[in-house]
Amino acid sequence: MLSQKVAQQSLRRLAVQQPYAMRWTLMNAASPAAVAMGRNVQMIQTRFAATNTKTSDPTKILAEQRLRRPVAPHLTIYRPQITWLMSGLNRITGLMLSGPLYLFATAYLAAPLFGWHLESASLAAAFAALPLAAQLSFKTFFALPFTYHSFNGLRHLMWDAGRGITNKQVIQTGWAVVGVSVVSALWLAFL
Amino acid sequence: MASLMRQSCLSAFRAPLATRNAVGVSQVVAFHASAKKQILPPQPQTIQGTMNDPAPIPKPHPSHGSYHWTFERLVCVGLIPLTIAPFAAGSLNPVTDAVLCSMLVLHSHVGFQASIIDYFPARRVPKTASLLNWLLRGFTLTTAVGLYELETNDVGLTETIKRVWKA
Amino acid sequence: MASLRTTSRLLASSRSLFRPATFARSYATVESGSEPAPQIKKFQVYRWNPDAPSEKPKMQTYELDLKKTGPMMLDALIRIKNEIDPTLTFRRSCREGICGSCAMNIDGVNTLACLCRIPTDTTKESRIYPLPHTYVVKDLVPDLTQFYKQYKSIKPYLQRDTKTEDGLENRQSPEDRKKLDGLYECILCACCSTSCPSYWWNSEEYLGPAILLQSYRWLADSRDQKTAERKHAIDNSMSVYRCHTILNCTRTCPKGLNPARAISEIKKMMAAH
Repeated sequence: MLSQKVAQQSLRRLAVQQPYAMRWTLMNAASPAAVAMGRNVQMIQTRFAATNTKTSDPTKILAEQRLRRPVAPHLTIYRPQITWLMSGLNRITGLMLSGPLYLFATAYLAAPLFGWHLESASLAAAFAALPLAAQLSFKTFFALPFTYHSFNGLRHLMWDAGRGITNKQVIQTGWAVVGVSVVSALWLAFL
Repeated sequence: MASLMRQSCLSAFRAPLATRNAVGVSQVVAFHASAKKQILPPQPQTIQGTMNDPAPIPKPHPSHGSYHWTFERLVCVGLIPLTIAPFAAGSLNPVTDAVLCSMLVLHSHVGFQASIIDYFPARRVPKTASLLNWLLRGFTLTTAVGLYELETNDVGLTETIKRVWKA
Repeated sequence: MASLRTTSRLLASSRSLFRPATFARSYATVESGSEPAPQIKKFQVYRWNPDAPSEKPKMQTYELDLKKTGPMMLDALIRIKNEIDPTLTFRRSCREGICGSCAMNIDGVNTLACLCRIPTDTTKESRIYPLPHTYVVKDLVPDLTQFYKQYKSIKPYLQRDTKTEDGLENRQSPEDRKKLDGLYECILCACCSTSCPSYWWNSEEYLGPAILLQSYRWLADSRDQKTAERKHAIDNSMSVYRCHTILNCTRTCPKGLNPARAISEIKKMMAAH
C-alpha cells in the first residue's frame, strides 16, 4: 500500500518535471497493455491476424455447446417434502378414482353389446360372493384415494382463496389431511 | 491408516470404476441418476432468438386460461355439498345424482386434460398430445352417456356404490 | 494413521511460526493457534466438464476438516477449490445472500450456498448438485438464459401512459407501497423456479414461481397503468395455470418470500376481471 503510494507520487512528480521522460517510461515499462501486446508494431499485426481465423460465428459455437449439455438431476435428488409429495399423491389419487369411473361407465354403456352384466344388482351380488379380505382391500383401495383427494381438495380450494399459504400452515394442514383421510378411509372400509 | 483402507474398500465396493486422483482426498463415483429412463427425457438445449430477446409468451386464450380456471374451481366448490349429501342423506334423488355425475365427469375431464398438458406438451409431441386429447374427449363422451344410462335404466351412481359397499 | 496425523500437526504448527506477516489466506479457511481434533466431513459434488462432453456427469467426494472451514456451504466450496481441486466450478459473488449467484441444490433442497450452514453431523455426507432440471454449463453452474428471457417477457418495468399531475414523481400512498413488500426483495436466484416440478416439465412455456412473483410485483403496483394488458398477456393455459399449488417454491425460497401466494393472487386477479 505504502510502496504503491510512493511510486504514484514519484510518477506524478516525474510527469510534472519531465513530461517526455514520463511518456517514455510509460511506453516502455509502465503500461500493462504494451506488455501484453508486445512492444513492436509487427507483433501487434500478427496477433490481429490470429484472432481473425476462419472460425465461424461465435454464437454458433455456443449453440453447439448447448446441445451437449446435460440436464441437472431433479426428481431423483430432490428432498422428499410434504409439499410436492402430497401434490403428486393428489394427482395420482385423482387418476385412481377417475380412471375406474371412466372405465366402469364406458363398460356399462358397452355391456349390452358384449353381454356383460354390470347392473347394480348383479354387481352387488358378485361383490357379496368375494371373501371378506378381498372385500376389505377393495374398499380400502377406493376409500383411501377418495378421502385423501377430497380432503386435500379442500386444502387446494383454501389456497386458491389465498389463505393458508405459509410454510407452517402448509405442513400442519398437510399432516392433518393425511391423518383424517387415513382414519376416515378405514371407517369407510369397515362400514 | 485403517480409515484410509476402509474408504478405498468402500469406494471399490460402491463402483468398480471408482478412481482416486493424485491428491488422494477425492474419489469419483459414476453418477447414476441421469441414466434412468424417463417417459419424455428433456431435449438438448436450444435457445430461441438471441439471449436478449424476451421468451415468447403463448397467445392469450381466456377460455383456456382464466375462464377455464374459474369454471374448474366452481365445479370443485359445487362438488363439496354433493359429496357430503349422500353420507348425510343415505342416498340421492335422481336429479341430484345426475348433477353429481355430470360434475364428476367435468372434474375428471379437466384433471385428465391437465395431466396431458403437463406430461405430453403439444409443443414437444404434437401428435401424441392431440391423439390423447381426442381419446380423452371420446372417453368423456362414452362415460357421460354410460352414466346417463346408469341414471335412467338403473338406480344411479350413489345408490350403485352404496349397494356394492353394503353387499 | 494416528501417528502420521500428529507429525503433520507438529509440522503445521512449527510452520506457522515462520509464516511471514503478510501471508494472505482465504476467508473460507479458519485457522486457530492450537489445533482441535479434526472434524472430517464428506462432500459429494456434481461434476461435469464441457471439455469432455462425452463423459457422463459424476459425483466427486471431497473431505474437509470442519474445524478449519468457515460455517457456510460456500466456505466449504471455496476451500475445496482453493486447497483441493482448482477445477471445481461454481458461481459466487457477494457471500451474503443478496446476489443470488451461488444458488444450488444442497442436500436435496435449493438454496444459496452462502446462506446454508454446513450440517455439523459428520456421519452424513453432504450432496451438492446444480439447480435441478437446468442445463449444466459446468459442474455447479446452470444456464439460466431461458429464466432471464422469461423475466424479460413479462416487461419488468413501470409502464405509464400519462404523466403525473406535477410532472415530477409517480407518488404512491404508504398503503399501496406496502403491497410491494415481500415482492421487491426477490433477487431472482431461481431457487424457487427450479424447485417446481411443473417448471421442470414445462419451463419452455410456464413462467415459473420467480417470474410470476415478479409479474405480480408489477400487477400490484399502483403506479403501473398497464395492469389490464399485463393480465391479458398471460391469460393462456401455460404461462400461469401450469401452477398446481405444489408449494415447493415457498418452501425453498432462501429469502423467505412467498411466490405461491403471489401466484394465488394473480389467479384471483385474473378470475375477477
